[in-house]
Amino acid sequence: MSIKMKVFRQHTLRVSDYSQVPIWRKAHPVDLACVCYGLAVVMMVIVSYASGMNGWFPFDPQAIQMDLLNALPNTEGHLLGTDFMGRDIFSRLILGIQAYFLPGLLAVGIALALGSICGLVSGYRGGRWDAAVTYAANLVDSFPRLVLILLMIAAFKPDIYIIMAVVGLTHAPTVTSMIKSKVIFLKQQNFIEAAVSLGLKNRIIIAKHILWYNCRALLIIQATLGMAEAILIETSLSYLGFGVQEPMPSWGNMVQSGANYFLQGHFWPSTAPALAILFTILGFHLLGDGLNNILERKQGR
Amino acid sequence: MTDQTVLAIEDLHAYFYTRSKQAFIRSVDGVSLSITKGCTLGVVGESGSGKSVTALSIMGLIQGMPGIIGGTMRFLTANGPVNLLQGLDQHVKIKRDSGRILTVAKDMTKWEKRIQGRMRGLRGSQMAMIFQDPRSAMNPFSSIGDQIRETILHNTAVRRRKQAREKAMDWLARVHIDAPRVRYHNNPHGLSGGMCQRAMIAMALAAEPTLLIADEPTTGLDATIQSRIVDLMAEIKTELGVTTLLISHDIDVIRQLSDQVAVMYGGTVLERGPANTVLTPGIEPKHPYTAALLSSIPDRRLIEKKGFLNAIEGDVLDTINTPKGCRFYPRCGQVNEKIATACLNTEPPLSSIAPGHDVRCWLFEP
Amino acid sequence: MKFSSIKPIAGTLIREIFAALLLLVGVSVVVFAVLSFAPGNPFSSILAAPGAGAPAITGKIWQYLTWLGHLLRGDLGHSTRSGLPVFDEVIRTSLYTLYLTIGAMAISLCMAVPVAIFTARRGMASATGWAMTILTYVFSALPAFWFGYIVIYAAIHRFGFFPLAVGGSTADWNWFYFFLPVLVLGFCSCGLSEMVRYLREELVRVLSQDYIRTARAKGVSVWKHAFKEGFLLPVTEIVAAKVPFILGGAVVVEQVFNWPGMGRLAWQAAQDRDFPLIMGITLMAALFVRLGSLLKQVVHIVVNPRASHRSE
Repeated sequence: MSIKMKVFRQHTLRVSDYSQVPIWRKAHPVDLACVCYGLAVVMMVIVSYASGMNGWFPFDPQAIQMDLLNALPNTEGHLLGTDFMGRDIFSRLILGIQAYFLPGLLAVGIALALGSICGLVSGYRGGRWDAAVTYAANLVDSFPRLVLILLMIAAFKPDIYIIMAVVGLTHAPTVTSMIKSKVIFLKQQNFIEAAVSLGLKNRIIIAKHILWYNCRALLIIQATLGMAEAILIETSLSYLGFGVQEPMPSWGNMVQSGANYFLQGHFWPSTAPALAILFTILGFHLLGDGLNNILERKQGR
Repeated sequence: MTDQTVLAIEDLHAYFYTRSKQAFIRSVDGVSLSITKGCTLGVVGESGSGKSVTALSIMGLIQGMPGIIGGTMRFLTANGPVNLLQGLDQHVKIKRDSGRILTVAKDMTKWEKRIQGRMRGLRGSQMAMIFQDPRSAMNPFSSIGDQIRETILHNTAVRRRKQAREKAMDWLARVHIDAPRVRYHNNPHGLSGGMCQRAMIAMALAAEPTLLIADEPTTGLDATIQSRIVDLMAEIKTELGVTTLLISHDIDVIRQLSDQVAVMYGGTVLERGPANTVLTPGIEPKHPYTAALLSSIPDRRLIEKKGFLNAIEGDVLDTINTPKGCRFYPRCGQVNEKIATACLNTEPPLSSIAPGHDVRCWLFEP
Repeated sequence: MKFSSIKPIAGTLIREIFAALLLLVGVSVVVFAVLSFAPGNPFSSILAAPGAGAPAITGKIWQYLTWLGHLLRGDLGHSTRSGLPVFDEVIRTSLYTLYLTIGAMAISLCMAVPVAIFTARRGMASATGWAMTILTYVFSALPAFWFGYIVIYAAIHRFGFFPLAVGGSTADWNWFYFFLPVLVLGFCSCGLSEMVRYLREELVRVLSQDYIRTARAKGVSVWKHAFKEGFLLPVTEIVAAKVPFILGGAVVVEQVFNWPGMGRLAWQAAQDRDFPLIMGITLMAALFVRLGSLLKQVVHIVVNPRASHRSE
């Protein structure tokens, strides 16, 4: 008798037609774990942003303490230690969230708005609209994001918000194609025809039916993935020196300035923000993919 | 089991577990069939009665979980009769509650490994199957001739590709595909449904199997093409004498092609016997379901006389909540007070009412 | 491939090339539009400034067309920093970046494909499948710039060489220098988790198709039948889709490793506001992406008999 027997249990003799098994029973435990972790990360980001906005730091993020350089975590109350100038890393990490939080939301907002509109139009109308939207989407997809941003930076030194708007623009084609395929799928269902024949002529109402009732999950998932993308771009940009400048911290420039101290054996000032980036982006990815598996996939894993 | 029985299934159970309802779909719930050599057994039933799942179980192609959980299937291989599910019940543990299966513990990996090992030499060479939708059942990236040649190379003694190609073209001609030399190179999407189905029949027969399973071969085709395919299958039956398990919900097709017939409903066999006895309306004794089925076939004279079609009352059986007693009881029109309690509470066994004719009904129990 | 099908394939191919050219025209319009926001005359190295009385829109269009004409003749102007012709600079560095791109793509495929195939067959039930998937998620969230530093540090201290100087380091480990940036780029910048998810989903979808069931019923090898639609097509699809991401990651990785490629040149050009250079690099990068996409279309058309009959 092997241990690997898979057990299938029916709990009652009679299963009602209307019984709705709750999501935490139905879903795969791995997906649930991913979603929980992702939600925890989102919570932490929001809380840290709020505390950073209001100036609630455990220590002053810009306070230089020359006698406590490169301290390891948990020395003298510094939860994550200090960096090469004696500044508290934990507080600097919290302050660093300011650099990407609002711009990231802007990017996501633009991606979703633009993507949904284009997806709805090209899916619903088809024909020439579809050709135009596909051309535009392919055009936007042809540019590597960082290269396009560097082009913009060279041309007119834009604000981080404009850069994030462009990032949102480059994420829009993904959203468009997903919404378009969903719309095409839904159009073949009879309820759209029924709605039209019932006189629901107002296309906006039909868009609400399609978008709100059926595409909600898709949009939330794309929002998480878009936020992860935005964080990655912002940290890469500040690593390259084009984003937030010293002494204002951003996770990217913290990694960059801390990297100079690698050779001296001080890894932590550079690794702490890198781990922060890792766990945050990981949280958003896992949230997106976990939700995708739970909500969008009809059959089990 | 005599040496002439090609396939004998006893008490087969195949369940599928749905996560969304946390319950079993009892697709095959105690099916017993047998086919003798050279015979065609037709399996009739509505959609959802478990016919296709039975066929897939025989071939070992069940993908869902838990899948087959009990029964025996004896198949006449080249080395003699073999129970395909031999020794596999040690990997399954079943817990019942008042006779109904509630918990199944099955070692999926071990089971799969053993059954695939057992089926490896049999599938394609001794058992072949043709499917319902011929255009999607053939590989769209490869020509039909190449796919037939692949079967020949893999499942027969032919080793040289040129020789196999010639044989494939022979088979294409045999199933009455015009211009076989040109059609050999056609992709399935460029051919009509009828031609694809012929090609699939050729592909199945090219390896000269002992048993041919046909899962709804005419269902996906137009009405005129259906009769052509039925003619082709009748021709093959007389020419080659292939033992066939024919599954369909079209009673006319079954009547034209089968010698024996089994009527399935809700996952079990309700009646089995010779085709001309069971499927001819008016010949008694007969299971009430079979009688109702036959009377509901649209017939011009009947409609003219009565003015409406005969339908069977009630809904198709819910395979998740199978009833305790007879499955057909809620829709049966021949229940009387003597047997009503029995029909409600206990499932009747399959008992013989004439030589070679078995019925599962309390009406015929002593 | 049969001779009878060459003609429709050629027709579809020509259509695809035409579409790619149209997109490249669009790319040039976008680059021109972005650059025209720059103060002064960003095209000074190619064109003379437009006359003072030139009307706004038609002047712009005329400027664009002249600029395009120069472009097509291979004249991209001169770098304002080094004075060298941009065309030569871009071609030279793009070869280095091409090497990085192809190498990184190969490495990420080597990692993604086994994980996808393994988890497609076993599902998430097995512990190894679970561990591998977590690993891909971690790698796709890992910042490439930090991982590069870790790798360099390990190279210096474990293997005792300084991997940032081309050709000048100890002879033993010279080849290593060519391998490290490819490794870092392949691990971190490819969106591994997306690759694995896409490949696995396509494989699972194909394996549940009817014709695979027929192949199983015939007893023949399933992989042979599933290969084209379940492996070849998805892999080319995801490779073409990931090229822009790799090029973006190359900007960061080339910075970390001081690799003389297009990415580092782009960073330099953005710092110096070297318009012709950044313009040339952007165009080249977009050209790479379009070429990748075109190659993918070619494979799809050749493999899929249906694609050449309909216009996809």
